[in-house]
Amino acid sequence: MKGGLECYTHLYKYWYISTGLRLPRGTPVIGQGGEAGCRVEGVIVEARTLRWILGAGVAGVSLFIQAASANALESRSYVVSYFSQQLNSRDGDCPGGVNPDDQAGQYAVILQGLGYKPDEVKAMMAEWAKGGDGEDRINAIVNARAIIDGQQVNAYTHPEATKDPGLKFVTSKVGYGFNLDGKDGEVSFTDPQTGEKGVDNMLSRAIGCNQNFRGSWDAPSAYGEWIWVQLKDSQPAWLITITGEDIDKDGPVTIRLTRALEYLKSNLDGSPRHFMTYRIDPDPRSHNEFKAEIKDGELKITEHKPLSLLWNALSSPVLNLKNTHLRLKMLKGDTLDGLVGGYQPWTEIYFAFSHNGIVGDRPGLYYAMKKAADADPDPKTGMNMSISTAYRLTAVPAFVVESPHLRYQSAEVK
Amino acid sequence: MKKVSMRVKKQPLLKAASVGCVVAALAACSPASDAPAAAKPTAQAAAGFEPAPAAVPRLTPAQYRATVADIFGPTIDLGGRFEPDMRIDGLLAIGSSGVGVTSAGMEQYDAMADAIAAQVVDKKNRAMLIPCKPASDKAPDDACAKAFLSNVGRLLFRRPMTNPEVTAYVGAAHAAGTKLNNFYDGLAMSLSAMLSSPQFLFRAPQVTKVANGQGVLDGYSKASQLSFFLWNAGPDVQLLNAAQKGELDTPKGLERQVERMMASHRVEAGVRAFFSDMFHFEDFEALRKDNLIYPMFSRREAMDAQEQTLRTLVDLLITNRADYRDIFTTKKTFLTSSLGAIYRVPVVNDRPNGAIDPWQTFEFAPEDPRGGILSHASFSALHSPANRSSATIRGKAIREVFLCQKVPAPPGNVDFTLVNDTTVYKTARARLTAHSKEPMCAGCHKITDPMGLALENFDGSGAYRTEENGEPIDASGTLDGKKFNNSYELGLALHDNTSATACLVDRLSSYALGRKPAKGETPWVEKLKADFAAGGYVVPDLMKRIATSPEFYRTVPPAATQTASAE
Repeated sequence: MKGGLECYTHLYKYWYISTGLRLPRGTPVIGQGGEAGCRVEGVIVEARTLRWILGAGVAGVSLFIQAASANALESRSYVVSYFSQQLNSRDGDCPGGVNPDDQAGQYAVILQGLGYKPDEVKAMMAEWAKGGDGEDRINAIVNARAIIDGQQVNAYTHPEATKDPGLKFVTSKVGYGFNLDGKDGEVSFTDPQTGEKGVDNMLSRAIGCNQNFRGSWDAPSAYGEWIWVQLKDSQPAWLITITGEDIDKDGPVTIRLTRALEYLKSNLDGSPRHFMTYRIDPDPRSHNEFKAEIKDGELKITEHKPLSLLWNALSSPVLNLKNTHLRLKMLKGDTLDGLVGGYQPWTEIYFAFSHNGIVGDRPGLYYAMKKAADADPDPKTGMNMSISTAYRLTAVPAFVVESPHLRYQSAEVK
Repeated sequence: MKKVSMRVKKQPLLKAASVGCVVAALAACSPASDAPAAAKPTAQAAAGFEPAPAAVPRLTPAQYRATVADIFGPTIDLGGRFEPDMRIDGLLAIGSSGVGVTSAGMEQYDAMADAIAAQVVDKKNRAMLIPCKPASDKAPDDACAKAFLSNVGRLLFRRPMTNPEVTAYVGAAHAAGTKLNNFYDGLAMSLSAMLSSPQFLFRAPQVTKVANGQGVLDGYSKASQLSFFLWNAGPDVQLLNAAQKGELDTPKGLERQVERMMASHRVEAGVRAFFSDMFHFEDFEALRKDNLIYPMFSRREAMDAQEQTLRTLVDLLITNRADYRDIFTTKKTFLTSSLGAIYRVPVVNDRPNGAIDPWQTFEFAPEDPRGGILSHASFSALHSPANRSSATIRGKAIREVFLCQKVPAPPGNVDFTLVNDTTVYKTARARLTAHSKEPMCAGCHKITDPMGLALENFDGSGAYRTEENGEPIDASGTLDGKKFNNSYELGLALHDNTSATACLVDRLSSYALGRKPAKGETPWVEKLKADFAAGGYVVPDLMKRIATSPEFYRTVPPAATQTASAE
C-alpha cells in the first residue's frame, strides 16, 4: 500500500472513524448505510492509529470486516484526457498521393462523377468559390447527389445511393494497434512500438489516405485534434480505475472503464486538470471491468470482452468494441498513454463522419470502410459489419467515486 | 428621465442641503430634530480610560452595496465603480476614516446615485418601492414626496432627517418635477442628491457632551457604529427605532439590541467583512498567476480560495463558537472540486442534479500536512508572486496580519540575483541563506523567513510539494523560541502565541471604531484582551463585549471633536 490517497477510489465520502479494534493496514472493510443508504467500501490505511477510511456518510453505517488478510488492494483512478483514432501516416504510404484533400478538389471530382463536363465543372466551381447563392446551389447539387428511385436524396444519409469514388487505401506495413485475430495476413501491420506482427487496424487503412485523418504518434491528425476538442467539452468524461495489490509492481490487476457524471475539467491553457473528482454514472451501459496485468510499467487487459461506453452523437452515440485490447504505459506524473483497440461497427463510425461535417468524400469513406471491414460477418449477407480499430488514449490522475444519486434524477423527473 | 436636467438641478440642492457641511465638520453637525435627550453614560468605563475623537469613515463599497440592497432590494444595479480604499495600520476600515472623495470619485458616486434613483422610480419598481401614489404622475406631489424621502432618508442618513433637510429635498423634488412635468423624475432627482450627499457617504457621529467631560455618541450614531461593526451594513428599522426611544442609552436596551443582532444571520456578513479586511482579501481582485507554471490556478480558484477561508472562519468561529486560536490548526474546511484538485483531495458534488452546491465540507486527515488557514491557498497563493512561492512575503504576512507586527520595507538597492538563482541554490532556504549574508538584508529576513520557509511545502498556487528543483524542502524553524518542523507545527506555534490573540483584539477593536484605539483607550483594549482570554477566545463573545462596552461609544465632547476633526 502506498498511502491514504490512493485508497480513496470507489469511496463516496471520507470519514475517519476511530475504533477499538487493531486491524492490519490494508484490511478491506465493507458496509451499508450513510445518508444515501449506499454501499460503502474501504480499507484500513493506517493501522497504527486505528483509523478507518470509509465510503459513506458517517451516520448509521454498519461495517463488516471482509477479511483480515494481507491481500489488500489499492486503486488508482484516471480521467481520459484524449481519445481518437491512431494512425501512422508516412510519406509514400498512399500510392500516387492522398485522396483530394481540399473541398474544391472534392467537389470537382464529385461533379465530374455526376456527369458534368470539364468546362461546366470549372464554371460551377467558380460560382461556388464566389459564395452566396451560387455556393448554396453547388452545395445542394453535391449534397443531394444520391439517387433513389430517380429522386435526389442526401448523399451522406444514403451513401449507398452514390457512386463509389474508389478512395485510396494506405499501403504501409507499419501501423499501430493489436493483433486481434492472432493471424498475420497481407493487410496486417507491424506495430512500430511493440514490434507485434499481424496488427489489425483496417480503419487506418481505409481512412488513412484522407488528409484530415493523417497523423502520427507525435502529431495527431487534424481530425483527431478537432474531434477531441469538440468531445471533451460536450460529453461526460470517461474514467479508468486500476485496482491491484501493488500497482507499482508487475502483477494482475483489474481495470474499470466507466463514464462520469461530470465533464472533463480543463485548465486555462486547455490542458486536462489533474486530481479533479468525478462521479461514476450509475448507468450500467458504461460499466466495464476487465482482468488485466501490469508488466514493466505497462498495463494490458488479458480478457478481451466487449467494451461499451456512452459517447457522443458527434462521434458515435456509443463506443462499442468487441475483442477489446488495451495497452497503457504508466508514465511519470501518474499519467497513462497508450492504445485501445478492437472491432467496432463500421457504420457507427461512418455516420459519425457523415454528420459531423468533416471535409472529404464522406460516401467515399463509407465505401472504403465497407470494403475494409474485417469482422462480424452478417449471417445472411456475409458482409463484415465491424472493422478493426485502434484509438490513442491518454489519461491523467483523478479521484473517482461511485454516485448513489440516480434516485435523485428519477425523483426530479417526476 | 432627463439626465442633463437632473444634473443641473442637483447642484443647488446639494449646496442647500448638505454639501457645505464638509466631511471634517460632519461630526459637529446638529443632531437630528427628534433625537433623544442627552444620554448619560450607561455603564462605567474602564479605570483610566480617556476617549479619543470619533472617526468619520467613508462607506466601503460593501457597505454602500449592502445599504442600497437593504433599502431598495438586491436587484438594483449600482452601475459605477468605487474609489480604492486605503489601508492604514493593517485595516481598510481605518483607512476609510482617512479618505475624502476625489472629483473623479464624486463623479462615480453621482453616476451611481443617478442609476439607483432611476431604477427606484422606474415603472416596474415604483409600486413596490414608493409607498404612495402622486395625485398626478405629471405634477409634483409634496405629500407623497415627503412620505417617501423622509422614510428613505432615515435609512440612508441612519437618523431622521432634520426639518430643513426634508424641506430642501422635497422642495427640490417639487422644482424638478414641475420643470420636467413628471413627479417621478423630480423624486429621482432628490433621491439621487441624497445618495451623493456626505450624510450618506460618510458615517459622521453625533456627539453629546456628558458631565464628566467625555463625549458619548447619540443613539443614532450608536446604532450606526453598532450596525456597521456587527453587520457591515447600516442600521435596520428596529435598531433606529431603538435609538429613537433611547434604548441604546441603557445597558439593558443596548444589550437587547446587540443580542438580537448577534443572533441574526447578518452577523456572518460582518464577520466576513472583518476577516476579509484583516487578511487583505481585497488583494484577490488583482491576484494573477502564471498559467504556464500554475495551470490550475485561475480567477475561479482565487475566488474559491478566498471563500474557503471565509466559510471556514464563519463555521469555526461563529457557528461552532470555537477558540479563535483553532484557525491555525483546524482540519475542517469547505472545498470545491477545483480547490480539491489543487489540494489533491476528492471533493464530490453530491447534491441532486440541478441543485449542485460546489461547496462541500471537508476534513483533512490527521496525517495530512494541511491544517489551519496558513495551509489554505488563500494564504499561500495570495502571499506569493505570480510565478513562485516566497518565504519572505509569507513570513512578512504572518508577522503583520496575524501578529500585528510591523516589518520594515526592504531597502531600495537590494541585489535580488541570489534570490532568483535556482541553478546553484535549488531551494528557497538555500537562496535566502545566501541572500541573508548581505548585512543590510539579514535583519529583516531573520524575522520573516523562518516562518515563511515553514510554508515552502506549498507552492505559489497552494499545491503541496515535498521538493523544489529536485531538492527536499526543509520546513523547520522557530517562532519566538518555539521550534517547528512543518507548516502544521507552525500553526501550533501560532496557536500558542499570545501575540496572535492580542492582535485579533487590536484589529477587531480598531475595525469597530474605524480607527486605531488611542493611548487613553488602552485600558479598555487591555480589558478586552483579558476577557477574551478568560472566556476561551470566543470571537462572538469578543464582538459582544466590544458592542456593549460603554467605551465603544465614548469620544471627546462636541467642541473638541470639531477641533480635532478640522485639524
